[in-house]
Amino acid sequence: MLDTLLPILIFASLALAVIGAWRRVRLWRQGRSAPVDLLKGLAAMPRRYLVDLHHVVARDKVMSNTHVATAGGFVAAAVLMVLVHGLGLAEGVLGWVLLAASATMFVGSCFVARRRRNPPARLSKGPWMRLPKSLMAFSLSIFAITLPAVGLLPDGFVEGSGSWVLALALCAVLVWGLGEMVFGMTWGGPMKHAFAGALHLAFHRRPERFSTKGGEGNRSTGLKALNLDDRQAPLGVETPSDFTWNQLLGFDACVQCGRCEAVCPAFAAGQPLNPKKLIQDMVVGMAGGSDAHYAGSPHPSQALGGKPVGEHRGSPDGPIVAREGKALVDADTLWSCTTCRACVEECPMMIEHVDAIVDMRRFLTLEHGNTPNKGAEVLDNLIATDNPGGFDPGARMHWAADLELPLMRDRQQADVLLWLGDGAYDMRNQRTLRALVKVLRAADVDFAVLGNEERDSGDVARRLGDEATFQSLAKRNIATLSQYRFQRILTCDPHSFHVLGNEYGELGGHYAVCHHSTYIAELYDAGRLHFKPWKGGSVTYHDPCYLGRYNGEFEAPRNVLRALGIEVAEMERSGFRSRCCGGGGGAPITDIPGKQRIPDMRMGDVRETGAELVAVGCPQCTAMLEGVVDASAEVRDIAELVADALIAAPASTGERSQTQEAQAAEVL
Amino acid sequence: MQPDTHAIEGLAVTVLVSVGRHPVTGRSRRADQDARGVELARSLPGADIGLLHAGRLDAGNEAALRGYLGMGFDALTLIEQPENSDALPALAEALKAAPPQLVITGERAEQGEGSGLLPYLLAERLGWPLVSGLAAVEDVSAGVATVLQALPRGQRRRLKVRLPAILTVDAAAPAPRQSAFGPAQRGRLEVNEAPVAADVELAEWQFNPARKRPKRLKIVKAASARDRFKAAAAKAEGGGGQVLTDVTAEQGAEAVYKLLKEEGVLR
Amino acid sequence: MSEILRRDPRKEWIARNRLHPQHLEVLAELGRSAGQGAASEWVGPHGLVRRNPHVVGFMGPNGLKRIDRSGVQQGAGGGRAAKAAAQSKPLVEIESPAFLVTVVPDMAGGRLTGHDRDLLGLARQLADADPAAPGAVLAVIFGDHKEDGFAEAGIDRLLHLDGPEVEGFAPEARLGALVAVENAWTPRHWLIPDSKLGGADLGRRLAARLGERPATGVWQLEASDEADLGWSCTARGAAGSLDIQRPLPRFALALAECAEPVSDTRHAASELTLPQALPARLSRIEDLGQVAVDPAGVALSEAEFILSAGNGVRDWDGFHHAAEVLGATEGASRVAVDDGFMARNRQVGATGTWVTARVYVAVGISGAIQHLQGIQSCDKVVAINMDPGCDMIKRADLAVIGDSAKVLEALVALVEQAREEKRNAA
Ligand SMILES: Cc1cc2nc3c(=O)[nH]c(=O)nc-3n(C[C@H](O)[C@H](O)[C@H](O)COP(=O)(O)OP(=O)(O)OC[C@H]3O[C@@H](n4cnc5c(N)ncnc54)[C@H](O)[C@@H]3O)c2cc1C
Ligand code: SF4
Ligand code: SF4
Repeated sequence: MLDTLLPILIFASLALAVIGAWRRVRLWRQGRSAPVDLLKGLAAMPRRYLVDLHHVVARDKVMSNTHVATAGGFVAAAVLMVLVHGLGLAEGVLGWVLLAASATMFVGSCFVARRRRNPPARLSKGPWMRLPKSLMAFSLSIFAITLPAVGLLPDGFVEGSGSWVLALALCAVLVWGLGEMVFGMTWGGPMKHAFAGALHLAFHRRPERFSTKGGEGNRSTGLKALNLDDRQAPLGVETPSDFTWNQLLGFDACVQCGRCEAVCPAFAAGQPLNPKKLIQDMVVGMAGGSDAHYAGSPHPSQALGGKPVGEHRGSPDGPIVAREGKALVDADTLWSCTTCRACVEECPMMIEHVDAIVDMRRFLTLEHGNTPNKGAEVLDNLIATDNPGGFDPGARMHWAADLELPLMRDRQQADVLLWLGDGAYDMRNQRTLRALVKVLRAADVDFAVLGNEERDSGDVARRLGDEATFQSLAKRNIATLSQYRFQRILTCDPHSFHVLGNEYGELGGHYAVCHHSTYIAELYDAGRLHFKPWKGGSVTYHDPCYLGRYNGEFEAPRNVLRALGIEVAEMERSGFRSRCCGGGGGAPITDIPGKQRIPDMRMGDVRETGAELVAVGCPQCTAMLEGVVDASAEVRDIAELVADALIAAPASTGERSQTQEAQAAEVL
Repeated sequence: MQPDTHAIEGLAVTVLVSVGRHPVTGRSRRADQDARGVELARSLPGADIGLLHAGRLDAGNEAALRGYLGMGFDALTLIEQPENSDALPALAEALKAAPPQLVITGERAEQGEGSGLLPYLLAERLGWPLVSGLAAVEDVSAGVATVLQALPRGQRRRLKVRLPAILTVDAAAPAPRQSAFGPAQRGRLEVNEAPVAADVELAEWQFNPARKRPKRLKIVKAASARDRFKAAAAKAEGGGGQVLTDVTAEQGAEAVYKLLKEEGVLR
Repeated sequence: MSEILRRDPRKEWIARNRLHPQHLEVLAELGRSAGQGAASEWVGPHGLVRRNPHVVGFMGPNGLKRIDRSGVQQGAGGGRAAKAAAQSKPLVEIESPAFLVTVVPDMAGGRLTGHDRDLLGLARQLADADPAAPGAVLAVIFGDHKEDGFAEAGIDRLLHLDGPEVEGFAPEARLGALVAVENAWTPRHWLIPDSKLGGADLGRRLAARLGERPATGVWQLEASDEADLGWSCTARGAAGSLDIQRPLPRFALALAECAEPVSDTRHAASELTLPQALPARLSRIEDLGQVAVDPAGVALSEAEFILSAGNGVRDWDGFHHAAEVLGATEGASRVAVDDGFMARNRQVGATGTWVTARVYVAVGISGAIQHLQGIQSCDKVVAINMDPGCDMIKRADLAVIGDSAKVLEALVALVEQAREEKRNAA
């Protein structure tokens, strides 16, 4: 009897799954078109899954192994199940392999169950709580029905022993398992992540993120430009269907693991943003309906508790953010993001939260004209004065009146173009700039500045969604830069670094850009700088998001600190897991209230290390961390530390190892 | 007329807008006060708002005018005029041809003479009442507008004015909403022709960038030249302020009190 | 009035005698009588260096112009004599003026404002330019007033229009009255303060009604032979970014500090009446009176006097009470807002409001750069703080080092005491 029932069940569930898949695909295809190489993507998918995705998952070893066992077991079991039970090819080794696969899967599902016993807050509950049971149901029932097939149990054992009840029960369990694992995969259960996730990896909007056999993927962090010339095209994303289809697909791939939630600084500060919930909101919007079924932590709201779930609803062609009242997402959710990319970095499904958030912000700014708080003013300033503070563009160099910085206009060429950034108007940052100039002069670097010809890089405008102002600034900067010859651009502002290096390219400006920490490290290695040993107290280092996660520069600043004789007392969250200072993405400008401030939390991290000084490499971080009241540590830019430690080259030049030893001795 | 809500439903409002000038860089932009006027108009429920500008159309001006469209308008009527012409006849004709109930405008232009006369001349020509320096329009009904005029220190005066009327706004009026790029690009500039009147008088004046006006020194009451000399020779106040350390709270309060009194902020 | 026309050896002697108590006055008169129309800026310390050297000189006995280098700068030694002079300012009477210069002072609060006095000073320049045919300064004032210094302010004739129709905000009635003045006397010059809600409004109405193109934002006058009225003026245009040089028209709306106020003479300030009663007219603008606005709740950007609280404020009731007693608008640092003591719309600074208050009192605010940005354009900053080294102290014009609660308490006591005394005195 099972022989007839099993193929029916299996093929029926497969058929339903295909129908579900087709329906799901239709949901994704509501999105705008996107240039994707489908075949190449499909071909690359296994590697992306096995290498890149698991590279992220493997940060949590137990979970990684669990996933390998469960997912691997499932994929194998499912394929073999079709062969063995569906097509009756039980002969030989197949049955045994199926047994092994389902057993592996079972073991995996036990670990899944264990994690679900006391799940951390970041995990979604609801249907996800039944997943381990479903996994077990599937693996156990497959295991059981395969036993007769391989002859471990006599044929017809189940029915034969007369226990119809047992047979039916087994079938029922199998139906449950098939329902969750096969049917649910395409109709919207927790297993959807496997189906959508696989395709998402194949058709990812940033294929360059993934490694190939040729080598590592790059970080691919630059935002994509908006076509402003097409007057009919909507600017940014108003409705879920305004996303590209592969973005929608990406949202659908979310496993609600909440890793993004756990690292999101805005979430931790109690600002109304939870990246996981945001992605789920997009899924709700894509399918239409309300967020009532969402089973994770909500967007926090100002008053400690969460934004109530179930009050927001949307549809594929309905607005995501309402001009008035509620729609799918509230505007303050989108404006809370600091674009720190911690979520993207952590997401095992490689979902691009920041792209989505900026896309939606673009609509709010360019179409609604609704950039909150000081946003509108800052953008107006950028338009009228080319800097966010509304300062006189002719006063950009006032801070350096006594330094006689060489101007590109006079020199026409230099090895290094020093990009000052808008910090030139800020008294605090001017100290950093002065320090950097001192260092460059000490190392005899051939550099020049643009002076008053420099404009804001457009970073803030772009993160605030004002693509028009960004492109206007970028194009004018590119035109200015094109007049001069230089090897590379040096800047102490990671935001300028990122924009010049990663985002101007699409508009025709290709430059080799480097951060001052990188450059100083190079100068030191080349023996052009000499430091006296560090005498201060303990020091920690804060990785700026736009230097670290955006550009992968984690080592150079640490090398410089080491060269200074400083041993960095690392914060728990450092390197690619560094916690944002709260200064990116225009967040200080939109200033969405939370229950605490992000820089206060970061200073708390600093305090935990016991450091008396926190070294930074970004004017924004400096401002944010210095704005903390009753801070336990002093904030200094790396350039300042280096400038303070400069000493003339020892008489016997070239003997670097000796000096180093001498320094080391002194440090000891 | 009956006190009905109809009056406000189809309230025809024309906002006169001009090309502004950024105070720091001099780049053209939407004029601040005019933009506030537009914002004020948008706060009137049921208002049917038209934007009207008389002036030259070139790239710089167009970008600035589109700034108003970006506040959520489909179109702006532009009466083309050469530079340095008197906009009054053109505007008056346009308003006479299709008279709105309310004309709202900023107090003075950011370019050219910027005398702030235009609304008054228009009011005179059209025979309409004019109220200046508004902070808000509270209500429009039965052919009467109830408005709040801004007084110093954030104070307000309530006025009633018979419609049709001209209202001018200044910096106390609500800040203009952000101008959105999309609508600004898509909006239409409807260009109308109108008679041109050259401003002959203005052409003879000399225009120079504003000189810094000398700060007046404290006037010494005593008529003696010696005292005046002392006043003139006294170093201009400023630089580091006075710091009172080691004083009792009472002494400190005394000093603060004196300063508040001198500045005349205590009532 | 014409005494300054005659050559007066005594005056010339005084002019040469720097120690004479009337030295300055006489010098002025002689300067004018020499027919130099240029503003004789020598009177008092006007501006920084805008002194006209031609006016400083005087005619020596041999008919040569002599410049007294030490002249005005070096004061008269005799303090006693100078005092005596101040007590009796000479009375200047102009019985049959050649023309009228009409000034319409704002009279805000029922008194001549500083701006009004500057205009009257300017009016005198116009009136007294030609000693051979001096003009008279006519001031037109509306409604009740408390001013008793019209004569010292340089007013020869005073037209006081009273009555319910010109009280409050009554631009149409006032305009009607001014038109009547024009019809009755056709003044040669009209000078009106270009002041918000005062002369700026009325003056433009008048000019528009009479079909004359006024000069607005005038801040400087110069004699000019080319101009019809013999003067040219410099006026601010384009939102204060341009100086426009043009002939002075009949109507001029002038800025504050356009001239020095009259300080050395007294004038008749004799009352005039209009030949005809004002016609009754229906006003299309009705004044419903001032709306009560709580100073504490005034929008920060408009506030003139702000009492701002930071992390150094502990006694919040005391702070609010102080703001109320002082009649100040409340502001706050971000910390005070974050900690929930103050509303968000009270935050001053980079991410709050940029304020333009005349007086800003920072109580327990350390002066972080983001906060200081917001008070850049404040005139006077007062800091009350425990820490003498903090940045707010560096920015402040007056800093009191002490506990915020105590200082505020003492300040409140002072203000209340002063009010009490005033009440008792009244
Ligand atoms: C991007 C960004 C934007 C910001 N925007 C703003 C902004 O718009 N506005 C703003 O205000 N801040 C802003 N800040 C915060 C700013 O950096 C400071 O943290 C903040 O202004 C400090 O507030 P405070 O002076 O009240 O507190 P504190 O720095 O703690 O100063 C308290 C002061 O009170 C004094 N004090 C303590 N007790 C007493 C007492 N009993 N009597 C008298 N004095 C006492 C102390 O000496 C100290 O000087 C911003 C920060 C960042 C990073
Ligand atoms: S978006 Fe990524 S990190 Fe966040 S819950 Fe979904 S899968 Fe996890
Ligand atoms: S980018 Fe940073 S702030 Fe924004 S959602 Fe991701 S983790 Fe949160």
